[in-house]
Amino acid sequence: MRQYVLKRLLLVVPTLLLISIIVFTLNHMLPGDVVVLMFEEKAYAKDLDTLRAKLGLDRPLYIQYFSWIGQVTGGDLGESLWTKRPVLEEITRRLPVSLKLGAMAITVALCIALPIGVLSAIRQDTLKDYAARSAAIVGLSVPPFWKATLVIVLPSIWFGWAPPLQFTPFSENPWQHLSQFILPAIILGIAPGASIMRLTRALMLEVLRQDYIRTAWSKGMREPRVVLKHAFKNAIIPVITIVGIQVAEIASGTVIMETIFGLPGMGRFLVDAIFQRDYPVVQGVILLTSLITVVINLLVDLTYAQLDPRIRYQ
Amino acid sequence: MDLQQAHPGATRDVHRRDLLKAGLVAGVTLSTWPLYSPSVLWGADAGQPKRGGILRVRGYDPVHFDHHQTINFKTNTTLSFAYSTLVRYKVGPDVEPGTFITEPHLAESWEQPDDTTYIFHLRKGIKWHNKPPLNGRELVADDVKFTFDRFLREPGNADRHMLASVDRIEVVDRYIVKFVLKEPYVWLVNVLANPRSMWIIAPEVVQQFGDLKKPESVIGTGPFLLDHYEPNVKTVFKRNPDYFLKDQPYVDGVEWLVLEDESTGLAMYRTGQIDAGPWHWWVVRQADLEALQKSHPHLVYKDVVDNVTSAVYMRTDQAPFNDVRVRRAISMAIDRQGVIDAVYLKGQPTPAIAPGLTAWSLPIDQLGEGAKYYQYSPKEAKRLLAEAGYAKGFKTQLNFTVGYGRDMVDAVQLLEQYLKEVGIEVELKPQEYGAYMATTFAGKYEGMAVGPISIAWEPDSVLYGMYEPGNLRNSSHVNDPKLLAMLQEQRRTKDIEARRRLIFDIQRYIAEQQYYVFTISITYTCTWQPYVKNYAPNPSFDYGGRVAALWLDR
Repeated sequence: MRQYVLKRLLLVVPTLLLISIIVFTLNHMLPGDVVVLMFEEKAYAKDLDTLRAKLGLDRPLYIQYFSWIGQVTGGDLGESLWTKRPVLEEITRRLPVSLKLGAMAITVALCIALPIGVLSAIRQDTLKDYAARSAAIVGLSVPPFWKATLVIVLPSIWFGWAPPLQFTPFSENPWQHLSQFILPAIILGIAPGASIMRLTRALMLEVLRQDYIRTAWSKGMREPRVVLKHAFKNAIIPVITIVGIQVAEIASGTVIMETIFGLPGMGRFLVDAIFQRDYPVVQGVILLTSLITVVINLLVDLTYAQLDPRIRYQ
Repeated sequence: MDLQQAHPGATRDVHRRDLLKAGLVAGVTLSTWPLYSPSVLWGADAGQPKRGGILRVRGYDPVHFDHHQTINFKTNTTLSFAYSTLVRYKVGPDVEPGTFITEPHLAESWEQPDDTTYIFHLRKGIKWHNKPPLNGRELVADDVKFTFDRFLREPGNADRHMLASVDRIEVVDRYIVKFVLKEPYVWLVNVLANPRSMWIIAPEVVQQFGDLKKPESVIGTGPFLLDHYEPNVKTVFKRNPDYFLKDQPYVDGVEWLVLEDESTGLAMYRTGQIDAGPWHWWVVRQADLEALQKSHPHLVYKDVVDNVTSAVYMRTDQAPFNDVRVRRAISMAIDRQGVIDAVYLKGQPTPAIAPGLTAWSLPIDQLGEGAKYYQYSPKEAKRLLAEAGYAKGFKTQLNFTVGYGRDMVDAVQLLEQYLKEVGIEVELKPQEYGAYMATTFAGKYEGMAVGPISIAWEPDSVLYGMYEPGNLRNSSHVNDPKLLAMLQEQRRTKDIEARRRLIFDIQRYIAEQQYYVFTISITYTCTWQPYVKNYAPNPSFDYGGRVAALWLDR
């Protein structure tokens, strides 16, 4: 197992290197020039050239790339072209917000999906099952931004109340800080929760038809033991894979929630940087996001081995 | 709905008289009175100033804090709280929206001994914010010279052209600074009042920080000190106890909040979490106005006409747009009122100078010969096209950016329809903002494009760049020597009434030529809580000046 983990960690390096080449190239292929944007269309050629040289953007692309990747290997993600603030510092400020939101969203998704999926399977074709499946369809169909808008607008009209919409740092008020994540996390977690719920139900139904489950029933075991100890554990493995994939989807969904709920996270930061052609920021954020995704996938794989003793990594 | 619950801050101290007045003002403004209401209605009976309170308002997240390296409104509106200009546009309820009257500010007076010399006399005893490295020292003429030398030299300053006529700045003595021009330029004082890029800075700050991009470098002479900045969240200002305008500011501080989502901002305004309208200029969007007025009639509402025009521009250096009949046909094909009714709900057709710039804009019916090209007449448009040799119309493209919001996208689709009706088939080319700025706005486009024209507080900065050959703002590639001569003449005309007549003549000529098909200017409805007193909106970036003059009575 140790060797397997080491091998996977070593593979991270070439993976990130490839991602860095792709993101650097695509970034610079976007139409629009950051220097022109800075001048907002009012610059003469000489001014543009001077500023481009000042920012190091007049060098050939491959030199810019190697210069940047050299900095990255030293732990320096460069500086924002607009603000001159270190990219790492900006990411460090914003990453906890997005991580919290993502983690809470996944928690919400699992808290919704697993119990309801199991219940729906063991009560197949009953009212509870139909209700759960219908709710899942609604949860999947309704876009998160619409849910978020309703949650904010309707109470303000009907009750004169709105959730906390201005960011409060943890140091200022821990309870208010955490409470401002609750609503966006619930909204963000609904759609993945609906997906996971349906998958859980389908897998549970398959497992519940297995011979060993029939054996367990025939031995007189009680329902909770049969369902949770024998069935659920075997059904859960593919669900974990889906959870790993949903993490990436949740990461992309945080942009909208961060904008609507006023949370200063990485999603908004990245979108603003793309619009502003802030190349170091875009590259740095995507590299970091890729690293997180790779690590999560590794954790997902390792979790299999914990759940299923038949799985051994060489 | 329980009003107390909705606006706990507002209802406690809102008197019946204020409610009636607010209702009267809102009703009258929205019904039959002209938009440019007499000053008696603005901030009527504000009462005695009251100290204290924190103003919480919709603000912006500045790209950084160096106004010589960006002209972005997000930076300049934020800086208006902490900095001052040499002269400024007057603020206060006695100022009609759309009027931009220059008044002394850091300079208490100025004189013009000849056509190319301006001498400014600084007020004595003005202090910089009490922060290192300035530590509250006095503002002197050397600071002004440093500011404008940097303005003219800084490579990242896209507004440098505004002072292109300035040859040099000289320090006469500790409190007197002289601007020497290369040629007569009667707009200099107006330009120096521009709440964008004209903020006065100190040399020690630039020496210490290298540039002014960091929030720690925001050290000015303005009514507020920058207390702290949270990226993507807010900028917090606190009262400057040493501000040079007596008694101001009245509020203890300002929270300049970053609100990116319209619905979020409106919900915050409805529930009293912010003190003024949730959108740009502290307005409420027209689409939300009716519902808000119904549920919150006690809020203050004021209509203000925008000083930004929108226009269709085109390659007038290429066929078919080099034919004036084609341009006139395009203008007559567009139902401007239809666009207003369908998209913006409130507004008016606009000449070259937006109606929001009230002192300089000519009503459409006074544009003379050019007025008829503002009429919606597809039949006449087709006739003009046929006369120009395009009886069957032609195909072209229409570039625009989605970065100006969904209303622009809706308006463009309507334009497409109108043009199709007269035979002009346009292929819509939506562009992301960055791509649009790098191509279309830089003049690199084919066919036509549409978008807003720059905001302005005097007509020269709107008109000159748009029609000067080779100017980067000449998006329609205009080359008209007669027009250029008129524009250059008004720049030299000292007498204000003679200059106004020239500006009007220019607008009439522009209306005939239709190098830009000006479409509409939007009417905004500004709104604020009734306990915000002595406040009057005006579409300028000087939020800090307007906030310094108001107080909170709750």
